[in-house]
Amino acid sequence: MSKFRLVAPFMIVMLVLTACPAGDGGTTGSTAPGGSTAPGGSDGGSGSGAEGDGSITVTSLWGGAEETAFTAVLEAFTEKTGIEADYEANRTDYATVLRTRIQGGNPPDVAIIPGIGTLRSLAREGSLISLSELGIDQASIEGNYAPGILDVGVVDDELYGIMVKLNSKATIWYSPERFEELGVEPAEDWDGLLALTEDIKAGGGTPWALGAADGWTLTDWFEITYLKMNGVEAYDALFSPDGDWTDPTVQAAIDQMLTILNEENVDGGVDGASATAFVDAVAKVFSTSPSAELYYGGGFVGGIATGADVNEELQGQEGTAIDWFPFPTIDGNGEGLVTYGGDVMAALVNDSDVKAFMEYLTTAEAGQVWAEGGTIISPIVDVDTGVYPTSLIQAEAEQVTSAEAVRFDGSDLLPAGPDLGALLQSAFRGDDTAGLLEEFQAAITTAWEEE
Amino acid sequence: MAVASRPASRDPRPKQRGDGFQINWTAILFLLPAALLLIIFLVFPAIFTVGLSTDRGRGGEFSEFVGLRNFINLFTNDPNFLRLGFPPSGALWNNVLWVIFYTFLCVFLGLLIAVMATRVRYEAIIKAIVFLPMAIAATAIGVIWSFVYFPNPNTGLLNALLGIFGIGPVAFLGSPDTVNWALIAVGVWGSVGFATVILSAALKGISTEVLEAARVDGASERSIFFKIIIPMVSLPISVVGVTLVVNVIKLFDLIYVMTRGGPGTSSRTIAFSMYQEAFPAGRYGYGAAIAIVMLLLLVPVLIFNVRRFSSERVTA
Repeated sequence: MSKFRLVAPFMIVMLVLTACPAGDGGTTGSTAPGGSTAPGGSDGGSGSGAEGDGSITVTSLWGGAEETAFTAVLEAFTEKTGIEADYEANRTDYATVLRTRIQGGNPPDVAIIPGIGTLRSLAREGSLISLSELGIDQASIEGNYAPGILDVGVVDDELYGIMVKLNSKATIWYSPERFEELGVEPAEDWDGLLALTEDIKAGGGTPWALGAADGWTLTDWFEITYLKMNGVEAYDALFSPDGDWTDPTVQAAIDQMLTILNEENVDGGVDGASATAFVDAVAKVFSTSPSAELYYGGGFVGGIATGADVNEELQGQEGTAIDWFPFPTIDGNGEGLVTYGGDVMAALVNDSDVKAFMEYLTTAEAGQVWAEGGTIISPIVDVDTGVYPTSLIQAEAEQVTSAEAVRFDGSDLLPAGPDLGALLQSAFRGDDTAGLLEEFQAAITTAWEEE
Repeated sequence: MAVASRPASRDPRPKQRGDGFQINWTAILFLLPAALLLIIFLVFPAIFTVGLSTDRGRGGEFSEFVGLRNFINLFTNDPNFLRLGFPPSGALWNNVLWVIFYTFLCVFLGLLIAVMATRVRYEAIIKAIVFLPMAIAATAIGVIWSFVYFPNPNTGLLNALLGIFGIGPVAFLGSPDTVNWALIAVGVWGSVGFATVILSAALKGISTEVLEAARVDGASERSIFFKIIIPMVSLPISVVGVTLVVNVIKLFDLIYVMTRGGPGTSSRTIAFSMYQEAFPAGRYGYGAAIAIVMLLLLVPVLIFNVRRFSSERVTA
């Protein structure tokens, strides 16, 4: 062992030498982004940010039409303020890239945050700049938004993320032309939806397409069903740290879903649908050779169905070859209740350019430019619905603004870890859900605590 | 320790002159660059990871000491990592399946191909074909097989073939029941060439005199295979086996490219879980705990390997 004794003191010296700079890097890394990470910053106080250098970088995972629509917003911002705004898209591994940039001490100035769980964890680790730290008063912008929408971006009573775009998730997509051929009509309540499903089958068609390979398509189904059946209070409670997933209402909502999503009603049966991804499921209804009649999914389905991935010929045929009807009420409940999904944007650097950009995002002017791109609904109330380029999006915007209550996509609110989508995939395949829900309850409780 | 009990003649260390040790500065100077790199990029991160695994690890830094809570949650309250029951599931269990079936199939098929190939004239061609996947990057293998498994028969080769017999289409990667087996098959396809080449070389090393002597003594081909060939290549078999086990415990690339751990979380492996928890989900402490579990699983394999290497009997 004398060999080791020779090397040991040497190794210890090396270890100390290498550990020191790394330790330094660690501490500067946590304070560098933004410079001020003092907890409980001044409430609505004056901004402590430095003077900007005249340019900002914004990252998101949007590409294609979504990217085009957003870069128009950035151009309008540059035109107005003279601040250069660069856009960086990371289509894959967005969260990983964002976190790596933060850890490397080189965060983007502003970023869309992928999911509210991520927003919470980034805010709590001190990587995000709250709006009050930037010097933007929450009360002054609150009036620009429908009630409750800004709350989604609040972490520990501080507003960090601004909802910048959203889509209704209470829309069922179909082709009016083909409905006419089949002699059926959109449904207004669940019984009607079941009858519609039967009528399509009786007419020789396949009623539903489902992309169950993507777990989130099923969480969307579950959320709207649960909201319609149980109302906003139960919904808010379920997707909060106090949520009880073993409550019978959860099982009841899953059972309700499965009265439609089953072997007889979905294209390809349970096995086929389990292997179908979201876009492929949309294509089953809207491609040039359709194999199903109905698709439930968010408002963004319209853009995808008429886009290059599915069927560009549908462009200009909105209302005849493609349309949607609102998700029906269930036993008379849930009239005017809408779930929605959306993206929040947050600042990671505290300077005057970033402040100007975040302020700009809250204006109707920015919302208008974005809305004209035709991929999103602006959460800003003063955006005129007339600017939306198609009747489908216009109607979607009206559905959201006239809703009695809107609720954010619940699974996006849950902490990282337990997979509600996987649970629903199992339920869809016919596994016993009671045991899965108990297990999910245990895991989600821990995940909330650990967050 | 085992090292000390070994006969002096086997000890590779030079004998030391005198009692006190002399510092060989030249040797240290030569070791310095390598040692430095190892310490910076291996020893220090490993120690950091051990520390992080007992921490909440917010933002990838030490934030709140949690003791063994990450490990306890990992084994008792994370169905994505380990769900006991029948059948068990989760990343750890998937990795157990990988270790057993991938390693066994690679060694078994590798030996089979090697033995059969030595008996035909076009041996080189067969071995080249079997070895070919080794020349393809694992990510490329993943992409190729994603197409082979594609559910739509117009794209998916396998489903087009099944379609001829009126079966399917089967979503090999879309169902939790089949996904792990489909992935293991890809892994075997990618690695069997490695086993074949090594074992084939080992077979060549068996002296023909031994085999001829056995045949003269009237041994059947079957007993020659099981009583002579297998024992004589047992060491190369274990080398191949251990290498494959190490490869498979840290398996990440195929999963990442082909399924991203899905559908749901049903095809995750330990390494993929580590990535998923630490990076996209930002639970660095939890991810570090998974990394430590992986390290602990690798330690016995590595000890086995190191001891065998130091026994200097690697070449048969």
